[in-house]
Amino acid sequence: VAKLCVCDLLVAQCDVNCCCDPDCSAADFSLFTTCSVPIVTGDSRLCSQKAAIYSLDVEANPPERIFKLIDQVNPSLFCIHTTNYKEALSFGSPQMPTSENFDQLLKEFEGATFSAEPDSWNLNTDAQSPSDANETYRYEYGVPIQTVDAFLRLPSPVVSSWCSDANPAGFLVNQATKCTRSVSVETCGNIQAVSMLFYINSSILAKLHEFLFQVNITVQSVVVQSLNGMWTSLNSSDVLRLPMILDELCINIVLGVSYHITYTDAGEIIEAAASFVLGAINKEALSIQQSFEISFTQVNTKPVPLSGNPGYVVGLPVRAGFRPQGYPFPVEILFNTNKYGQLTVLQSTSNQDCLAAQGARTPVLFGYNMVSGCKLRITAAMKCQPLTQTLLDLLKGQTFPEYVASFGNSRAQDVLDWVPITHFQTSEQRIYNTFQSSCQIPISLEIEVKWTKYGSLVNPQARIVNVTATITTTTLKQLPSGRERTIPVTSSVVFTDISSPAEPGYKAWPTINVKLPFDFFFPFV
Amino acid sequence: NSSYQLSSVPLQILFYINGIYYIFYFLATLAMIVYKSEVFSYPDDFLAPDLALLFIMAILEVLRLYLGSKGNLTEEEAPLGLSLVMTVGSVILSVYFLVWQTYVLKADVILNALLLFTYGLESVLKVGAIAAFVS
Repeated sequence: VAKLCVCDLLVAQCDVNCCCDPDCSAADFSLFTTCSVPIVTGDSRLCSQKAAIYSLDVEANPPERIFKLIDQVNPSLFCIHTTNYKEALSFGSPQMPTSENFDQLLKEFEGATFSAEPDSWNLNTDAQSPSDANETYRYEYGVPIQTVDAFLRLPSPVVSSWCSDANPAGFLVNQATKCTRSVSVETCGNIQAVSMLFYINSSILAKLHEFLFQVNITVQSVVVQSLNGMWTSLNSSDVLRLPMILDELCINIVLGVSYHITYTDAGEIIEAAASFVLGAINKEALSIQQSFEISFTQVNTKPVPLSGNPGYVVGLPVRAGFRPQGYPFPVEILFNTNKYGQLTVLQSTSNQDCLAAQGARTPVLFGYNMVSGCKLRITAAMKCQPLTQTLLDLLKGQTFPEYVASFGNSRAQDVLDWVPITHFQTSEQRIYNTFQSSCQIPISLEIEVKWTKYGSLVNPQARIVNVTATITTTTLKQLPSGRERTIPVTSSVVFTDISSPAEPGYKAWPTINVKLPFDFFFPFV
Repeated sequence: NSSYQLSSVPLQILFYINGIYYIFYFLATLAMIVYKSEVFSYPDDFLAPDLALLFIMAILEVLRLYLGSKGNLTEEEAPLGLSLVMTVGSVILSVYFLVWQTYVLKADVILNALLLFTYGLESVLKVGAIAAFVS
């Protein structure tokens, strides 16, 4: 105890106000004001222990340090007289790893947690591991898909837009990436990542860590892109096409790969197919852009694209469909399997001509307000009825749905989860004339989607409550012959949040329910 | 009157006091072991032997006191001799709790010292009683 000094931090130098520092001389002690460590003892729970007491005698001139070694007595009845357990009162010093005990130490401490009594815990883990054996071998969400040599790669841009081949594809994580790869005609044969073989070479392991069952990646389809961008689908998709130099061009360069993985609900991969887009580069090209995609389908199910689970996710398309005719009670809602084709609006084109738009539609994405439009040239020769019909087709599209899903994952069978679209019709000009003999043509469609936040305060889910489609019409004035008029046709989509503010609920304060017995005040009552 | 009655009255009184004191000793030691296991680091490998020995000592003590009391009252030397032999075992156990226990607190020292003193006094009286019965 006399040799212990907590405040002695500087080696071979005197620490200020540290009375137990052996490096300090009497001259140093005379400069101190107090002792930062007045007493050094062992464990105070012992019945009798040595204590070193340091103090400064400020009366003397110069001040000097006083050091006393005394026996401190713990007066409590429960003070420790002796112990026969050597680690009782001090921290255990850890074992120094040597080559003999390294494996045992690694097994003991490699986990995320370990306890002071490793033996008792080992029993539990042994009992659990046989039943866990099946569980750990199945793929879970986000786990990288393993192949025979490493993992299934989905090259993606890292930091810059150059492709990095070290990005693994995660199980059930649908991804689409685009990146740039540097390739030229001379080197196209040497770069592995532009050849088909690189992507279908290694087989995927059906279960995690089990090399017994492997799934080969089959080539589903091959599309060849010519230099001017035209795509041709090839009939024979089982021939492996490797890059080769032909007429100063390098052909069969992989420009895009799309993987489709089929899995079971036990977390096993049973099928893997890849579709390729091959292209060609010429002498001047220094880099190409590659795009990669991976999608997962559960076996024996039709993929139902979800727009959120359960609430809508901003940016995903609004799901909409039709009620089949003829049923008194609707059983199911039918919708387009293309999730981007369910609820669409007119898409603005660069030439702004409505009739030349060729029916280009853009999907309505949840949360994104949109305005689009085009200009329609009306000549005198156009008749009212066909013009009205054309404009309606333009605004609403060929198949305008009747119901919109209120949640992103509403199933077709749950008819009550689908909200009907209410249609309104207003007129631009107030016409008090009841003879509406003049022609009313629709020129604007406004879709208003009212949604609310549903569920818990911490994780609110978006739910569509109401959808209204308002068609605004205007009068078509007869034009003198030979004249032309251009009218703007617009369509807009607005998302309005009508959620009421959240009310936190507090638990009621507990009340003290005390009732005296009814004859408590017996003699007096 | 000692020619009619050979049983030793002081020994009987001592047995009685020993019984009551031992109950107190057993409960106090058990409570202190529980206290030690909460306050100090008391791993299972050290706790189990201490508890086991305490329970063995309790059983031994009951048998010892019964045999001793019976031997003294019926003036037979066989049970009393057996009780004396068992006292040796009890002494060893008491010394264990005094010196070799995992944590020996000051209260443990006091309790066990008193118990050893009682055993010592009893042994002397038992030897005297056996001598009286034999002769």
